[in-house]
Amino acid sequence: MRIKIGFIVNPIAGMGGRVGLKGTDNKLSEAKKLGAKPTAPTKAKDTITEFIKNNKKSDNIQWFTCAGDMGENELREAGVTKYTIIYTPNSSVTNADDTKNACRELIKKNIDLILFCGGDGTARDIVEVIDKRIPLLGIPAGVKMHSGVFGVTVQATARILDDYMNNNLTVGDVDILDVDEELYRKGEWRIRFYGNAKGIINTTYVQVGKATFESIPEDNIKDELAEHIQEEMKRRPDTLFLLGPGSTVEHIAKKMNLKKTLLGIDAVYKGEIIGEDLNEKQILELLGKHKDVKVVLSPIGAQGFILGRGNLQLSPEVIRRIGIDNIIVVATPAKLASTPFLRVDTGDKNLDFLFYEKEYLMVVIGYRLSRVVKIQKTINFNNN
Amino acid sequence: MKRNPTAFLREEYNELVEKNFDWKLHVLESASTPHAIVDGKKVLMMCSNNYLNLSNHPRVIKGAIEAAKKYGAGSGSVRAIAGTMKLHIEVEKKLAKFKRTEAALVYQTGFAANAGLIPQLVGEKDIVISDELNHGSIIDGVRLSKADRAIYKHRDVGDLEKVLKDADPKYRRILIVTDGVFSMDGDIAPMDEIVKLANEYGAMTYVDDAHGEGVIGPDGRGIGAYFGIEGKIDVEMGTFSKAYGVVGGLIAGSQDLINFAYNKSRTWLLSGSHPPAVAGAQLAALEVLETEPQHVKKLWDNTNYFKKEMQSLGFDTGESETPITPVIIGDSAKTKDMSKMLFDNGVFALPIVFPMVARDKARIRVMMNAGLTKKDLDFALSTFEKCGKQLKII
Repeated sequence: MRIKIGFIVNPIAGMGGRVGLKGTDNKLSEAKKLGAKPTAPTKAKDTITEFIKNNKKSDNIQWFTCAGDMGENELREAGVTKYTIIYTPNSSVTNADDTKNACRELIKKNIDLILFCGGDGTARDIVEVIDKRIPLLGIPAGVKMHSGVFGVTVQATARILDDYMNNNLTVGDVDILDVDEELYRKGEWRIRFYGNAKGIINTTYVQVGKATFESIPEDNIKDELAEHIQEEMKRRPDTLFLLGPGSTVEHIAKKMNLKKTLLGIDAVYKGEIIGEDLNEKQILELLGKHKDVKVVLSPIGAQGFILGRGNLQLSPEVIRRIGIDNIIVVATPAKLASTPFLRVDTGDKNLDFLFYEKEYLMVVIGYRLSRVVKIQKTINFNNN
Repeated sequence: MKRNPTAFLREEYNELVEKNFDWKLHVLESASTPHAIVDGKKVLMMCSNNYLNLSNHPRVIKGAIEAAKKYGAGSGSVRAIAGTMKLHIEVEKKLAKFKRTEAALVYQTGFAANAGLIPQLVGEKDIVISDELNHGSIIDGVRLSKADRAIYKHRDVGDLEKVLKDADPKYRRILIVTDGVFSMDGDIAPMDEIVKLANEYGAMTYVDDAHGEGVIGPDGRGIGAYFGIEGKIDVEMGTFSKAYGVVGGLIAGSQDLINFAYNKSRTWLLSGSHPPAVAGAQLAALEVLETEPQHVKKLWDNTNYFKKEMQSLGFDTGESETPITPVIIGDSAKTKDMSKMLFDNGVFALPIVFPMVARDKARIRVMMNAGLTKKDLDFALSTFEKCGKQLKII
């Protein structure tokens, strides 16, 4: 099988981090002044080298890339000799527009997969153009890598690509996260959920015969989760259900014929949506009217955060009033396979501590099926 | 609607063939003996579950023949109506004595035991807590139940306790179910710790000891005996089709359990009872186990010798604690090549590949057998060595 891979490197990704900036977006000259050196090109080259070393079918790949440090140089240094240049940046100092322009060219080439090297900012630039048209795989090289498109390390990314080429992995929804720019301008550092992209995810298998297995589409498992939540709602007719952000919870709502917002928190009571895209104040008002409340959450992004990434409306006060035992965490087994831990970062250390004390949460992974998942202590990105 | 009502039969089969997921049945042209004829070829049988070679034991064969002569070819009915023969009762009594439990019950198959009993033990308002690597028949038994389900990490008692802690206040009944010996890796469930935890939380325990019975514990009396906790596991489930060398499922436990089980298990109530020949062979197999300890000993001698020699050849035999000997090769394609090459060279052992096991843990699963001689084992070892070197595994 011939496979077409688009390869984009954001050569300046990660430069801000080394010198204590929280990103490189619009900060390149400042970063350079502080002595930052580019690291993304090396990471990109190492990933390709590692991948070619292990993958027997890498000759079947048709590479499409950009001139210079945006991909060409890295491919060449990794030993790839045949590739097509689809975009040449105007200046040697590249920026977000170059990434977006390259993506526009890639769409025209019917690419199977975009392999890119960068951080959350790069991922967002790509998704802005590509949306869900082409699956993405990110080589982690940025300052922030909260999005679900990244491999954990260079080696892990090479391995994912290898597994994908061998049909061991599948394409599914992943979350795109980045720093909240509005809040950032006001001096606050918070990670926001920007939407979904297509990424490479694990496959869930079921045994159908003694030694035969079938992979189940992610959507079927999400249907099962929906059935579970629907039954839970029926069992507790007087309970208010808050549905958190993300594609898993959105799918659950859709299955119940509820129109839920992808990024927001919506309230469901007696089978109807009674509040859409609620902010903290609106949630607190609802909590004043309803005694029994459950909140349905799914891990967001790459690191398994259930609180503190992309759902800041669920403030410490909201969580305390709902009670941590009333959080229902749902996730498909494939998602759990890539985020084996859950994390919380509520912004309130004492509340976070209540979760750490609990050590684990029961996560619903199918219709009336759950398993234990450990809660991992978080390195607090807010104070760095 | 105009539709082709049976087109899916061929479509789905073809799909399986395309993916190479269909079962290509190997045909035995001899008895299931250590030296067998499979698909016309003489091979050393290294993948049967006939651990003690009892299916070929003269006393067991005689038990079958004499029962058939005396009581006929079939039992005439389901157990509940007119199909309970004195012979069936004798098997159950002897089985309970062998397992050192109050009572025992024979099911038509092991699958029938799991699929019939589990959904009766727990229902709505209850929870089943299951090891993540449990056998498919347990999974199906659990699916037939209306109970909630939780999974704990393989053999991880800490993980199990977390589930118990969470479940304790929420549910009416709690059932912990696990394989005794896990069929892919040959490792053993920490049943002593599981029972201890279950007692703390008032949970029931259910063990599927299909690969442990006749194999582990003193005289091969199974996992209860292995941990010295006979009679303390609420349901000891097993099978006559592996080490016992016959066919049939079984449970052993209290008289209360047995009374409950045969009145409630639909699989038991709605299937015909075993033919006299089967019951006669079961009875004889139990007698052999009680009076001829040499078979279990030979099985373990063979296991220890084979594992040690395989390891010194440089093969990775995993974490097995039992005669199930995984020969871990890693890559799925290479493992299939190895199995084929072994067969061509006269050793019959099947490959187990992803997703039955982790992607980098594909293996040949060797099932040790008490009927193999040292000469047989040396032949197997030299064949493994030859093929392993040729495929650059060792």
